[in-house]
Amino acid sequence: MAYFVYLFMVGLVLGMAVVAVNLSPYFAAFGLVVVAGMGCGVIISFGGSFLSLVLFLIYLGGMLVVFVYSAALAAEPFPESFGTTGAVLYFMGLVGVVGVFAILYIEEGSGLGGCSSDEVMGMSSCVTEYDGMSQMYGPGGFLLVLCAWVLLLTLFVVLEMTRGSSRGPLRSV
Amino acid sequence: MTPILFAFSSAFTLGLTGLVFHRVHLLSALLCLEGMMLSLYIALSTWSLGMGSASSSALPLFLLAISACEAGAGLAILVATARTHGTDRLQSLNLLQW
Repeated sequence: MAYFVYLFMVGLVLGMAVVAVNLSPYFAAFGLVVVAGMGCGVIISFGGSFLSLVLFLIYLGGMLVVFVYSAALAAEPFPESFGTTGAVLYFMGLVGVVGVFAILYIEEGSGLGGCSSDEVMGMSSCVTEYDGMSQMYGPGGFLLVLCAWVLLLTLFVVLEMTRGSSRGPLRSV
Repeated sequence: MTPILFAFSSAFTLGLTGLVFHRVHLLSALLCLEGMMLSLYIALSTWSLGMGSASSSALPLFLLAISACEAGAGLAILVATARTHGTDRLQSLNLLQW
């Protein structure tokens, strides 16, 4: 059971290989969902439950939903799937190269820095990330305001980039 | 090399490979870029958690915010391309060829 996290790492690499094969964007978005899920499992095994929650909410719930709606814009009648020529071979080639490097370079060191839990008293000596996260509001207040400002600026950038010569950013679909 | 270091390093390299080679759609390149940002998020999170001090735990949040801005700008480019060229396939971006 302690080695369950290695499954998450394998799933991370495999999902990323699905994205890298560059099929139709539907498959790449699905691969990214798998990568984000496995990455959340890895981060949880290190004890970072809040960071994993943030990843799920913001990345999957925010950004990837926007990407999926944009994939509807790139819809084509015959999407290139895994059954087409060379896609499965390319995927196996990528995974094979990663596997060769894995055999060469992975040493079984301490591996995971995760939580060691005391099973008698039920306490765990995890490093909680809340100490660092709360510094975002205190000493890192300037960077927080700056990031919020950058997000607002990005809104205006997006509105400006989708403004054509005679078109506005909103249009009737 | 620890397994987690290899995992996100190879995820980053795979995303870079997908960004460089063999593209048909512009959206595929943006999704590979998002995969690279995701691997960087996992790297920062596991690094700050595995080092025993949580002082840099806010760093992945800032990375996520900035990468969301970048994804938004990339998607705006995609929408503008789909409006002017009719599709987001890279074959249609052929005005500047010699």
